[in-house]
Amino acid sequence: MSDEIRKRELRGLQEDVSRATLPDEGRVVESAPAKEPKTPGEWIRLNLFSGPFNSILTIVAAVFLVFLVFQAFGFVFLNSDWRVIQVRMKGYMVGSFPIDEVWRVWSSLYLVTALAGFSAGDSVRLPRGRSLVGGVIAAVVATVIVVYTTQTGLVRLLAAAIPALFLASNVVGRLVPPKTMRRIRTWGWVLIFPAIMIVIRGFDGVAPNEWEGLFFNLIAAAVGIFASFPIGIALAIGRRSELPAIRGFSVVVIEVFRGVPLVAWLIFSRFIVDLLLPPQLDLPDIIKAFVVMTMFSAAYIAEIVRGGIQGVHSGQYEAARALGLPTTRMMALIVLPQALRATIPALIGHFISLFKDTALFSAIAVTELLDAAMRLGLEFQGQDAQTLVFAALIFWTIAFSMSRWSQRLELRLGVGER
Amino acid sequence: MKPPLWRDIRVLHVAGQVAFVVLVVFVLREMYLNATFSLAERGRVLSYDFLDSRAGFGIKETFIPYTPNSSFLSAFQVAVVNALVVTGVGIVLATILGIFVGIMRLSPNWLLRKISQGYVEIIRNIPALVQIIFWYTAVILAIPRLENSISIFGFAYISNRGAAVPTLEGGEDFGTWGLFLLAAIVAAFLVRRWRTKVFDDTGQPHYRFLWSSGTLVGIAAVGYVVLGDPFTIETPEIGLRNLIGGISVSPEFAGVLVGLVIYTAAFIGEIVRGSILAVSKGQKEAAEAIGLRPSQQLRYVVLPQALRIALPSVTNQYLNFWKNTSLGFFIGYPEIINITRTMTNQAGHELEIFSLLILIYLSVSLALSLVMNILNKTVALRGTTR
Amino acid sequence: MADDIGSTAASDVSPAGSAASNGHMIVAEDVKKWFGNFQALNGISTTVRKGEVVVIVGPSGSGKSTFIRTINRLERHDEGRIVVDGIELTDDIRNISQIRSEVGMVFQSFNLFPHLSVMQNITLGPRNVRHWNRKKAEEGAMQLLERVGIPEQAEKYPAALSGGQQQRVAIARALAMQPKIMLFDEPTSALDPEMIKEVLDVMKELAQSGMTMIVVTHEIGFAKEVADRVLFFDDGVLVEEATPETFFSNPQHDRTKLFLSQIL
Repeated sequence: MSDEIRKRELRGLQEDVSRATLPDEGRVVESAPAKEPKTPGEWIRLNLFSGPFNSILTIVAAVFLVFLVFQAFGFVFLNSDWRVIQVRMKGYMVGSFPIDEVWRVWSSLYLVTALAGFSAGDSVRLPRGRSLVGGVIAAVVATVIVVYTTQTGLVRLLAAAIPALFLASNVVGRLVPPKTMRRIRTWGWVLIFPAIMIVIRGFDGVAPNEWEGLFFNLIAAAVGIFASFPIGIALAIGRRSELPAIRGFSVVVIEVFRGVPLVAWLIFSRFIVDLLLPPQLDLPDIIKAFVVMTMFSAAYIAEIVRGGIQGVHSGQYEAARALGLPTTRMMALIVLPQALRATIPALIGHFISLFKDTALFSAIAVTELLDAAMRLGLEFQGQDAQTLVFAALIFWTIAFSMSRWSQRLELRLGVGER
Repeated sequence: MKPPLWRDIRVLHVAGQVAFVVLVVFVLREMYLNATFSLAERGRVLSYDFLDSRAGFGIKETFIPYTPNSSFLSAFQVAVVNALVVTGVGIVLATILGIFVGIMRLSPNWLLRKISQGYVEIIRNIPALVQIIFWYTAVILAIPRLENSISIFGFAYISNRGAAVPTLEGGEDFGTWGLFLLAAIVAAFLVRRWRTKVFDDTGQPHYRFLWSSGTLVGIAAVGYVVLGDPFTIETPEIGLRNLIGGISVSPEFAGVLVGLVIYTAAFIGEIVRGSILAVSKGQKEAAEAIGLRPSQQLRYVVLPQALRIALPSVTNQYLNFWKNTSLGFFIGYPEIINITRTMTNQAGHELEIFSLLILIYLSVSLALSLVMNILNKTVALRGTTR
Repeated sequence: MADDIGSTAASDVSPAGSAASNGHMIVAEDVKKWFGNFQALNGISTTVRKGEVVVIVGPSGSGKSTFIRTINRLERHDEGRIVVDGIELTDDIRNISQIRSEVGMVFQSFNLFPHLSVMQNITLGPRNVRHWNRKKAEEGAMQLLERVGIPEQAEKYPAALSGGQQQRVAIARALAMQPKIMLFDEPTSALDPEMIKEVLDVMKELAQSGMTMIVVTHEIGFAKEVADRVLFFDDGVLVEEATPETFFSNPQHDRTKLFLSQIL
């Protein structure tokens, strides 16, 4: 686009001068809908019954949809007993995490909520139109589920504090000057994981083998991002190195860890770590699993970061060299900041898929969310569908909302446009 | 003028690499020493000899001959074949379903679009494992017992003992009919060339696909009638303990297959949609401007380009599918993880078995990407030659 | 087709309507077009005679591209009438495809098919729409490639050609359908300066051969030399219409004067 403008300027054909504010004709053409329907009737004709074939498809699809809705309705309201979930909500959330220490989980949750609300700062707008309707429906459904599944007033109060805290920190985020806000936001996300670790483990805290339920899945995914980030960056830079030895080593590590499924790594983590590390280093099994998962995740992060580094325009390298920056400082000051910024949406995507992958920890007898659901299914025979569906709903809610967030972030960072 | 050694960039590069290699070798040596030490402590040595000894465990579902008396190596081979069969069947089904989902997503019909979007948004955001376990425990095992299996028009049966579909049972003249079939294939090929020539010579529409498939079916049908029932279709029946006849698969196989196909199809659907949208609007306009009909625009301009855009991502999905067969472990499908774990329980030798596991996952992935790369080259060959 | 002409003449008594049968290739009457709330065309009326070369100029967003895109139905006009070679553009797909095979179009960004060779690009339309045999289509394509001066590139793929060569192939591709009218949508805007001339030369030769042409362009030199008439668009309105001499030396409207002062 800008190239084109420059070319026109070269030829002295600056026709845009007087009307720089007008939308570019080409762009209007791109985004314009084929035809604006004016009445609901017209809309239905255009979108559902525009021809005989289309009408048949609509009817078939509608019948199918009605059937599905009936089935789902029957499942949710008639054939299922959801009291199982009501009784075992704690099991889903934190498993057998000591009840006296649950305040640590709540505190961590509040930390993340506050940071998320603060970071959302300028980008959160009040939803309008269709998204407002969707938001209201989602909020009502969420409230109903939370009220139904929580048993004591205290828990409801603690849960209600989450949206309140989000809004409050959002307001704070808007009031703080933008520059300070951005600085706190960046450092906040860098430091949130160590902070949570301190909250959970510090002051006679709770050891990893007692982390269970959804809490475990979230923590494990966070470990997979934060602990593997430095290794991932190192591997990414190694893979782009001019030195064949380093490049070869990085390629082998990345491809081996990516090429073997995570379940295999988890199941064999005990043997591998035992065999390869000094015997006097006696680690708990869960830490061994975290070690291999960190390497697994690092291999993926390396590929994401490599993509980001490749996306940095070669002119940036040349400019940095021209300024006389040595290689390390060129990477640290010029290349990585741009590359990492561009990889944020992909990293969130990786976090989502890691979060989904944490269900695999049930293979090594960790009572994470899915495992908790399956145990419940065994305990209450014949209700495994409900217990599984509820676990699926939790996975879905978190993964879906994060992917939406990532899409918006992508738009805002303008990653696609570079 | 040569710079001093410690400032010579070439010397530094070599020195850096040497230092790095020394470091890596040192770490690997430490690991090796640790490994041999802990093995020695348990009275073992690194050896692959155990692979030839008797496995001693049974496997529920095998596609190649196997008994508990077979060796560990053949148990491992069974596992690899089991995983490959699921992958082979699965990626075909997932591709078909995915194309369907992706095209629905672009349909002018609002309802179809929304159904497809809902499917993708729901399926993508739930772990594949949760879905496989759901299909297995809550759907397949909840299906009626054997004696009241769900019958699909009396041809196929689904029960909690597995599913069965009809097979062809060859009669006496089956071989002769095979010759007919061969002739039909050759004829179809020739007809295709003839139609291409007609198109080249006269410019009349070729309808190559219709002509050649018509020839194929026609000759095969004539052969069937002439030979008088050279084969019969064997439908499965409900036996005492199992479904008898036809091709039957275990509930575990069905669980992995259904779960992964539905999961992967959502991703392929997104790729299909994205690739078609990625063909620039200008291409469609240019095709319109030279007067091509919508079907011709799709056939000659949009689809060839979309295919090229889609292939690398689809390859990725195929690789994921292959790795995801490991989820069969959780519902007891005898794939690689499941069998290797049994093997370690029986024989120990974790390190050796794990090295085999790495080897097989990597080599199948490599083979798969090689095949897809060749495909990619044949598709991309034209047009990218610079 | 005879029906179409008849009904046009019968249902319409305006001069333009009857002009449709008087050697006018294109008749536009009060053409309006909206994109959402943005009105791109606000009542365009004009006629183009057979063999006439019309150049459209105007600022970005003035609707000039949109207008020529409505002539072969890449954009649907919302109101008004467009008659091309006696066929009125309606929602009838038969009319649309008939008009498209009589109207060639050349785009700013070439839009060659990257997966097809130059030869395949040119013969795709004739073979599948006109149903020519392969030999005839390829011979025709070679003649056209010679006409645009790049017969040696026939077996190459678009990516291997320079911008100017690509645009000449695009012109050959459009000509291969033997159109009666050629539309050019800023054909030289995406080209490097040194390649503009080779494309303009092809267009000049085409104009001299008697082709009916509508050209949206910023090339004032081309307009002065080749155009029979210059149209000036602004804000979706046809502001001024004159011969090149009058238009460039003696513009009537203030908006035209302002525009010319900016580009000259």
